[in-house]
Amino acid sequence: MSAAVRLGVGALAVAGLGSALVGVTGADPLSALAGLVEGAVGERYTLSETVVSAIPMALVALGMVPALRSGVFTIGSEGQLAIGALAATAAIQALPAGAPPPSLIAAGAVAGLLGGVAWAAAPALLRAYGRVNEILSTLLLNYVAGFLLLWSLRTWLATAEIVPIPQSAALPDAALVPKLIEGTRLHWGLAAVPVLALGIAWWLRSPAGLRYRLIATHPPLAARLGLAGPRAVLATMLLAGATAGLAGWLQVAGVAGTLYPGVAGGLGFTGILVALLGALRPAGILAAAFFLAALRTGADGLQAGTGIPSAIAIVIQGLVLLVAALAAATPSLRSAAGARGRPGEGTAR
Amino acid sequence: MIFEDIVFWQAVLAGAIRLATPVALAALGETIVERSGTINLGIDGIMIGGAFTAILVAGFAGWGVALLAAAGVGALFGLVIALAVLRGGANQIVVGIGVSLLAGGLATYGYQLWDGLGLSRAAVALVPVLDLPALGGIPVLGPVLSGQSLLTWATLVLVIVAAPLLRRSRPGLILKAVGDEPAAVAQRGIDVVRVRSVALMIGGGLAGLGGAAITVGYLGAYTDGLVAGRGYVALAVVIIGRWTPSGAIAGALIFAVFDSLALQAQGGRAPLPVEAYMALPYLVTLAVLVVTARGTVAPRALGAPYRPER
Repeated sequence: MSAAVRLGVGALAVAGLGSALVGVTGADPLSALAGLVEGAVGERYTLSETVVSAIPMALVALGMVPALRSGVFTIGSEGQLAIGALAATAAIQALPAGAPPPSLIAAGAVAGLLGGVAWAAAPALLRAYGRVNEILSTLLLNYVAGFLLLWSLRTWLATAEIVPIPQSAALPDAALVPKLIEGTRLHWGLAAVPVLALGIAWWLRSPAGLRYRLIATHPPLAARLGLAGPRAVLATMLLAGATAGLAGWLQVAGVAGTLYPGVAGGLGFTGILVALLGALRPAGILAAAFFLAALRTGADGLQAGTGIPSAIAIVIQGLVLLVAALAAATPSLRSAAGARGRPGEGTAR
Repeated sequence: MIFEDIVFWQAVLAGAIRLATPVALAALGETIVERSGTINLGIDGIMIGGAFTAILVAGFAGWGVALLAAAGVGALFGLVIALAVLRGGANQIVVGIGVSLLAGGLATYGYQLWDGLGLSRAAVALVPVLDLPALGGIPVLGPVLSGQSLLTWATLVLVIVAAPLLRRSRPGLILKAVGDEPAAVAQRGIDVVRVRSVALMIGGGLAGLGGAAITVGYLGAYTDGLVAGRGYVALAVVIIGRWTPSGAIAGALIFAVFDSLALQAQGGRAPLPVEAYMALPYLVTLAVLVVTARGTVAPRALGAPYRPER
């Protein structure tokens, strides 16, 4: 089957399973689809909420491109994002609340980035020098990160107020990332997305980017070109950690204004899907981030409006990923998205 | 909490055996899958699917049918992976993540509907406990061994049977050959794709059963997030156990001892914060993975895509 046929069959499968799930609840599939779209992009506020969700997804996905392109499957974004958020909050709280805004913003950004890098460091070193499978090490550390976050929120970062869910004290206003549009939660962190996308696009065209692709496809040749395997693994995994940590900072300083247990909330994990659906290309990733963010906010709106569980978004995500994998049908296990067929294009519209 | 107390450690060990059962079942299944040369990264979601299916079915058809249904659902997802990866040539890791989301998402969707109808608080019959008087009489270990469920004993029997089968029987040797030298085996007239598909379905079925071992095995309820990454732990345990059934049991027990300790720690005054005990099972699994990573004896064609000659 050609990629186009597979995408067609896949689209039918998504529509069929989606209709069946909606049908079980007794609702009408077409009006549910309308509700999903309405909840994602129907009004100015819902559209801004979709973009707010798309920001961390895009940052995580873009940071993963070099790693995935060189055949390193790091799946630790969820934990790295949480630790980035934790480190950013701790750094901001450590400074006096009266400090000048630029220093508070910079402290949050740098700490978030370093937090993500720190959480990526162990799996990166273990993969580079200890031959420990990075998929498992990063996944296991996601759970550890969750418990570290919970403990911090219960003890040294806990707010003094009486709150139903554990959370940190509210960040000082000067540490918050300014809003892009008043009356929405859309913040200036959006500016980081095109900057990073351009950076990755430039890197892909650079000699280094081409060489890194060889690591996945022809390890001996890549070695002869003077690219040490362990160094490449370290660099790419730490970069993925850095952007995930940065996304974590933006979730506290740009969106919530406080640190809470669900700060990662699946955003890090969805970022991995965004990278894969976007065929590891910046333009594809931006489209895929918007698509998956719309699915997320749309499903939330759908649940609020009709009672159809928002988990329908997770089911559709899984199916879309399967379809994309089949459409790309890469011959090699360790190249995430194939040269033939771009999984992001047909699905992200 | 008194760490010198024998009764305390008996409780920890008894809990560990109970908690090891789901991981051991999933890891045993994945051992078979990986021996055939493929990796199923969808285990965690399949366990969630099995856990929910079992609790749903147990409510009206009892625990026996519930276990069968969970295994059936798991095998079905194994078949999905086999079709996508082996027939469709898709990337195993991406398909695994996709199936994990699909299975887990369907379970969550079903649970939210079911919970909304107020049905999730109905009492469910658990897998019965096997109480042999002879076991209860053993000093020290008696209280640990008695009170374990039939499913735990069945898992143990399964491993005892599977170990020599995988090592010496004809199907076991074919499985190993397919995982080591698929091209050579194909020349001798063995259908590599079929062998791997069957392995994926068995592995999926055991992962589904592993999920059921949580809900119908000891918990009696389903909540979102109750599998808590045990599918990924099972994947690590396969490597730790060097692709052998007995190793899978040993690895599952290492994880489960710390898991059990965390449960005990929540009840009493522990020297460390509760979250530290909850993180320990994952950290210890990772640490053991690091220690055993050197000189692994993985199936030689593990994860390599196989293209039959056309």
